[in-house]
Amino acid sequence: MAHETHINTLPADLSAPAFVDAWRTRALLVGAVFAAIAAGLALADGSVDHLLRAWVLGLVLTFGWAVGGLALLMVQYCTGGKWGLLLRRPLEAMSRTLPLVFVYWLVVALNIKRLYLWAQFTSVQDTAIALKNGIITEAQAHCLDFKRGMLQPQTFWVVNLFCFAIWGFYMWRLNALSLKRDAESPDTTPLWIKKLENFSGPGIVIYSLTMTAAVIYWVMSMDVTWFSSVYGLLFLVGQGYQVLALGIIVAIALSKAEPFKTILRQTEQHDLGKLTFAFVMLNIYLGFAQFLIIWSGNLPEEIPWYLDRIRGHWGVIITLDFLFHWLIPFSLLLSRDLKRNKKRLTRVCQWMIFAKAFDLFWLIEPNFKDAARNLHFSWGILEYAAVPVALASFWVAFFCTQLKGRPLVQTNDPHVAEILEPEHVHA
Amino acid sequence: MPSREGTYGLLAEFDTPSDLVRAARQARQDGWRRLDCYTPYPVEEAAEAIGFHRNKVPLLTLVGALMGLAAMFSLETWIATLAFPLNIGGRPLYSWPAFVVPAYEWTILWAGLSAAFGMLALNGLPSLYHPLFNAPNFRNGATTDKFFLCLEALDPKFDLVETKEYLEALHPVSVVEVEY
Repeated sequence: MAHETHINTLPADLSAPAFVDAWRTRALLVGAVFAAIAAGLALADGSVDHLLRAWVLGLVLTFGWAVGGLALLMVQYCTGGKWGLLLRRPLEAMSRTLPLVFVYWLVVALNIKRLYLWAQFTSVQDTAIALKNGIITEAQAHCLDFKRGMLQPQTFWVVNLFCFAIWGFYMWRLNALSLKRDAESPDTTPLWIKKLENFSGPGIVIYSLTMTAAVIYWVMSMDVTWFSSVYGLLFLVGQGYQVLALGIIVAIALSKAEPFKTILRQTEQHDLGKLTFAFVMLNIYLGFAQFLIIWSGNLPEEIPWYLDRIRGHWGVIITLDFLFHWLIPFSLLLSRDLKRNKKRLTRVCQWMIFAKAFDLFWLIEPNFKDAARNLHFSWGILEYAAVPVALASFWVAFFCTQLKGRPLVQTNDPHVAEILEPEHVHA
Repeated sequence: MPSREGTYGLLAEFDTPSDLVRAARQARQDGWRRLDCYTPYPVEEAAEAIGFHRNKVPLLTLVGALMGLAAMFSLETWIATLAFPLNIGGRPLYSWPAFVVPAYEWTILWAGLSAAFGMLALNGLPSLYHPLFNAPNFRNGATTDKFFLCLEALDPKFDLVETKEYLEALHPVSVVEVEY
């Protein structure tokens, strides 16, 4: 062929570039500094309550990367697409951080009494006494009794451990299969594509169910009176949002050196930007749909959850959340030029991760009596700026270790040949 | 208005997009400005090669979207507060959350329509006649598997003989003269 001269070749060394080690060192340093700040704030506040609440935020954020990364990996095995080749190894590395997320979860699990009403009042008698003493409201007492089948410490442990076991199984299996695939010859490729597709399809369904259970326990049940059937889906889309943002940041940062320098083409970067844009849209769509339905119903048992998050200066936070989480990324990602610009796309993705954490702050903090309808300053509330940064930094360090663990490009994949072609022969 | 008779331009045919892009890049670099590429599917590099950076479709889409948003939101506000005020479940007359969904739908609708019709209008469509269809190889190949570069007679560098030689030096499959 006349245009053969254009075709790129994959570099011989596909391992992660050396600067990933520098990222890890930096992440560990930042993590240590913010952990110290978090400890200082807990001392200044004289209680670990806020530290634990912020810890849940950090847990949900890193869990979103680990298990959301696993989910996006499975989605990509089912959909195919050249963008997947770029993200496959970073996503696998995200999924392999599950042990660290489990450790984060253990801290929450050992402190459920400080975080959840249902862990404090575990029987009908306890609830009745608490109601009589005015510690909880009638609605809370009713919900505690009604939801006890699911919301009690034993079930919490059993369901959560079961979920972690399932995620662990999928993580192990997908990561092992991927390495095995690379070890085999190219004529096995069609078989591998089918095999991974068949394994991932049911995995996505199982992920949706287990992930929903996990966020109901960790976040939703902080307010026992609250229920919403779209809750799991909201977090599912939120995970797509944050995983794609991080995936793009990682892919672009890696493209400073081989092998990503060769395989990250503008076309696929643009595709990833468009996919992220879709998640930004879906995210506000579900978030607003939930609000609109509850606002329209205007029922006394449903609206307090929103009132807790709007009144008492929380309106400022939700307005900012709307701007940060949707309007800013949405408006910026509309631009084609921005999606094709490495530096600017990275900036937007970094912003999106911040916005995700900000949204989680709005979801978590007003669940507690001292903060509902009353946004006020305390040393404790600053934990939300310290603990999640520390947890996320340690997570990033672990992620870097995992990223270094294997070659960055899957070679036994037909997309490799396509991605090495010059950009104008596609279609 | 330039004269509508005589030669429209010289049309070079290529077999692959890469060849076309290379030739187009060369022509642009050699100072050609009245030139165009024709391909069966979008080849963005070809557009870049002839110095075509952006068009006004995104702007039209944005303006259309904002118009749709503003029109529907004000229509709803006007109906609910002035034209036909109704007490719905004791809510305020100006209940903006309820207005969001139709306003959003109109944003999408108007963005879509503006993009589609704006694109057609900016392309100069509908157009009943284009001289390039006088070339038989263009008629048969431009929508299937051939890639074309046309150097137009309006370019000051254009000269029937020299330009033909110039194009032939770019190794096309063929070069034909196209009449108005």
